[in-house]
Amino acid sequence: MGADAMNKYSKQVSWFWVFLLMLSMVLLSGERTLASANNDDPLVQLQKSTDEILMVLQSEELKTPEKKVERKELILQVINRMFDFRGMARSSLGPNWNSLTIEEQDIFVGLFISLIEQRYIGKIDSFNDQKVIYKEQRVKNDKARVYTTIIDKDLEIPIDYSLQLSQGRWLIKDLKIENVSLVANYRRDFNSIIRKEQFAGLVEKITKQLEKAEMEN
Amino acid sequence: MVCNGGANAFVEFFTRPTKLIHFKTKKSIVFSAHAVVFFLLLTVTHAWADDTADLSPSAQPDVTLETNKAAGEAEDDTWAEEDNWGNEWGEEDAIADPLEPLNRVFFHFNDKLYYWLLKPVAKGYSVIIAEDLQIAIRNFFDNLRSPTRAVNSLLQGKVKDSSVEVARFVLNSTVGILGLGDFAKDVLDLNSTREDTGQTLGYYGAGGGFYINWPFLGPSNFRDSLGLLGDAYLHPFIFLDLDTEVIVGTWTLEKVNYAALTMGDYELFKETALDPYAALKDAYQQHRNGLIKE
Repeated sequence: MGADAMNKYSKQVSWFWVFLLMLSMVLLSGERTLASANNDDPLVQLQKSTDEILMVLQSEELKTPEKKVERKELILQVINRMFDFRGMARSSLGPNWNSLTIEEQDIFVGLFISLIEQRYIGKIDSFNDQKVIYKEQRVKNDKARVYTTIIDKDLEIPIDYSLQLSQGRWLIKDLKIENVSLVANYRRDFNSIIRKEQFAGLVEKITKQLEKAEMEN
Repeated sequence: MVCNGGANAFVEFFTRPTKLIHFKTKKSIVFSAHAVVFFLLLTVTHAWADDTADLSPSAQPDVTLETNKAAGEAEDDTWAEEDNWGNEWGEEDAIADPLEPLNRVFFHFNDKLYYWLLKPVAKGYSVIIAEDLQIAIRNFFDNLRSPTRAVNSLLQGKVKDSSVEVARFVLNSTVGILGLGDFAKDVLDLNSTREDTGQTLGYYGAGGGFYINWPFLGPSNFRDSLGLLGDAYLHPFIFLDLDTEVIVGTWTLEKVNYAALTMGDYELFKETALDPYAALKDAYQQHRNGLIKE
């Protein structure tokens, strides 16, 4: 066998490897784009909604005082699509929920939504240069967890979301900020009122609280 | 000889310009310098081990060390916790609060302290001190807690976290200029852990005990109050033998600085809670239990 033949052979071999390498790259990258572009992912859905809110917040046009109401409405629209408010409200009442009539439940859900909106919007309004990092998601059947970190003034604040698949959309049913679950915290808070003043006392207290906030804004 | 000379020069570098640290004997100086070198070496070797491990195709840059460590059991852990989370009525027992009437008085006191004193002062402070400088000041105080975190990580068997804290302390105190910058995190990606003595006690099975809402200090419990004492003894200020007025002064500065950086957070929490005392108590319990589990 001559040297030429050897060269030809090794050339063939190297082309084979280049081909294999390219093929694997195509396959790997294809897989990756498939995985990250999946619109059904809870992480992707959460990120999209959050980005929508950030866009409203950063819009210079909406920052004028005349547009304040419109701006709030736009944010609320997105928030209402993100959360399973009824589930959260039920969960925050614990066993007390079952002792309410349907009408009472509806009233409570409405008040609960206003309360969450007030807390959420109040915090979100002071957003300017915060950065959200979407770390990972874990999905099991119709339940999911999304782990995020928000960087606020150089400080990393972990926020974990618990989501539930409902009619093709992932809805937030609870979130933990620095390990503190929103729903569990409200459950304790509500329970502390219900124990002393029953459900009627709770409704009265939330209504008063909301009116006070309304006056201040 | 070379080693001793090097260690002395190393220590002198810190001590001579400031004359702040007085170690009792030469021996302790050499020992501490050795300890520092040992921890630095540990960090480097661990960091190297991480690099090699990260070559695996599934490695994600954003996943924290804890997640890597628990990769095998993560699945089970998550969903065991998920059951806890998803289970609507199941939750941890409420923290015992036999001192509630007194605690509520102190809660009220702290609340007024915030609105009448701390907040107005922090507002004025924000006008004078730019936000970047506020962050630097927070870093400075945070850096002083590195020894506490290092010792407590070690006590919990987290050798790597401990060595990271030592490396952070050494680097940030020098290259980071007295801890004002977070060089270790920004450049070397060495992230701080949040260990303290209360968590170490919890790690060894100590329950929280009853709830205490301290005046000035805020929410705590029996275990974590002991922990605060331990933390104080591990604070560099103890070694510096500072006057009480100086300690109270710097502590106040830290509080004002923190209030300036988190302006509005307490107000929002209080305004959207119905019984803010109960809500704060529960938030404290959840927050601490989460930290101990980490």
